[in-house]
Amino acid sequence: MNPYVIMILISSLGLGTTLTFASSHWLLAWMGLEINTLAILPLMAQQHHPRAVEATTKYFLTQATAAAMILFASTTNAWIMGQWDINQMSHPITTTLVMTALALKIGLAPMHFWLPEVLQGLELTTGLILSTWQKLAPFALIIQIAPNVNHSLLMTLGLLSTFIGGWGGLNQTQLRKIMAYSSIAHLGWMIIVLQTMPTLTLLALITYIFMTTSTFLMLKLNQTTKITTLSSAWTKTPLAATLLSLTLLSLGGLPPLTGFMPKWLILQELTKQHLPLTATIIAISALLSLYFYLRLCYAMTLTISPSTNNSSAPWRLKNTQSTLLLATSTVLATSLLPLTPTTLAMLL
Amino acid sequence: MTYLMSLFLIGLIVGMVAVASNPAPYFAALGLVVSAGVGCGILAGHGGSFLSLILFLIYLGGMLVVFAYSAALAAEPYPEAWGGWSVIVYMLVYMTGVVVAGACMWGGWYEGFWVMESFKEFMVVRGDTSGAAFMYSFGGGMLVISAWVLLLTLFVVLELTRGLSRGTLRAV
Repeated sequence: MNPYVIMILISSLGLGTTLTFASSHWLLAWMGLEINTLAILPLMAQQHHPRAVEATTKYFLTQATAAAMILFASTTNAWIMGQWDINQMSHPITTTLVMTALALKIGLAPMHFWLPEVLQGLELTTGLILSTWQKLAPFALIIQIAPNVNHSLLMTLGLLSTFIGGWGGLNQTQLRKIMAYSSIAHLGWMIIVLQTMPTLTLLALITYIFMTTSTFLMLKLNQTTKITTLSSAWTKTPLAATLLSLTLLSLGGLPPLTGFMPKWLILQELTKQHLPLTATIIAISALLSLYFYLRLCYAMTLTISPSTNNSSAPWRLKNTQSTLLLATSTVLATSLLPLTPTTLAMLL
Repeated sequence: MTYLMSLFLIGLIVGMVAVASNPAPYFAALGLVVSAGVGCGILAGHGGSFLSLILFLIYLGGMLVVFAYSAALAAEPYPEAWGGWSVIVYMLVYMTGVVVAGACMWGGWYEGFWVMESFKEFMVVRGDTSGAAFMYSFGGGMLVISAWVLLLTLFVVLELTRGLSRGTLRAV
């Protein structure tokens, strides 16, 4: 692709999210979301092979549907209540409609079917953009409308997402699909605490972005997209493979790693809100996700022989990928837990 | 006027059902054109003549070309019309849904129910014209952003459809 066109697309990707962040008016927020969707389409179909074009078409259709629903709900709100402000949307029908549309946009559980298939058709870098940057603008809107949304709707979306994220990932052998289901499960954790403590939603989103960035970049470094190639990928860079398994366990939420922090705090918050049953159920659902993360770890690292020999190292070229972002995000994804008080103080 | 409006509203629903029931692209495009045209008629009938004109010119003028081309690309020798079995089931289900929903909301309906309320009488400009003017006078930046989005869309479409041999969506 022409570098000028890439420049236009990437800057529009930034513009869309910024517009949605900056707007207090539904029309402008909708425009930002549409710019975001439009700008990423050519990046998704960059390779022009049928799988990528199929993924692009699916993505376009779902995002266009969601955006049309948002526009419909916001005009209905303007019609009934006479105002366009995002954080003052209070009519139950319109808030429910908008929340459903935004759930479709980010891929929450009953509306999640597009996400694994779209992510599977993309390159790892584009998949990374899709599962991190493209989530920001809808989340800005979700956090603003959250106080007025039906509580049961949010709880249902959250619990369903964690469970379906866990169950869906169990039988997958393709890493990008597993990452999509992991995204769905993490989004469920973010939504469940949305009304009681939005700060924790932000915290979970930020830590998820660190962890998933690290995972995607590490997979790209190893050029692996399925479990079978994963099991021989460690021979290229044994140390990076070890770090990837730590990042995966962090995504699963094991204690000394970053991923434990949001889960811990969310469970604490749910307990404080006298929702012990929800807290127990969502904690159990994390085990489902942990199972497939553990399987990835097993395939990748846990079978490495204690004394690695030279004969298993494959013939390869010198890697030209820049690893600065990978290094930063891996450090953040594995060792942020001791900084929990500081992080909370920064967000609160 | 009431009969005309009722005819338009029925045409809108039937047009939407004709699109949503998954016929061949030819017929779906036809249904979309019917419902869009009828929708413009409804808008004009309820006091939005400017918006109706804009919608008619831009939507039916611009999109019709796209529909024609995409229908030509997706051409099939035996297109499925609304009489086909796979389509007629959808038609019946949607029609039943419309009737049930209509029966549920019958109470809230009266004549002249959605004529534009504000800027109706004693105004030099009508609601729809002044609404468009409001949007671009209070939000002049919106115009710039809209222009940028149109330019971006042009680039996106060119980038997606560029290359003669690389088309994945067309059946040739």
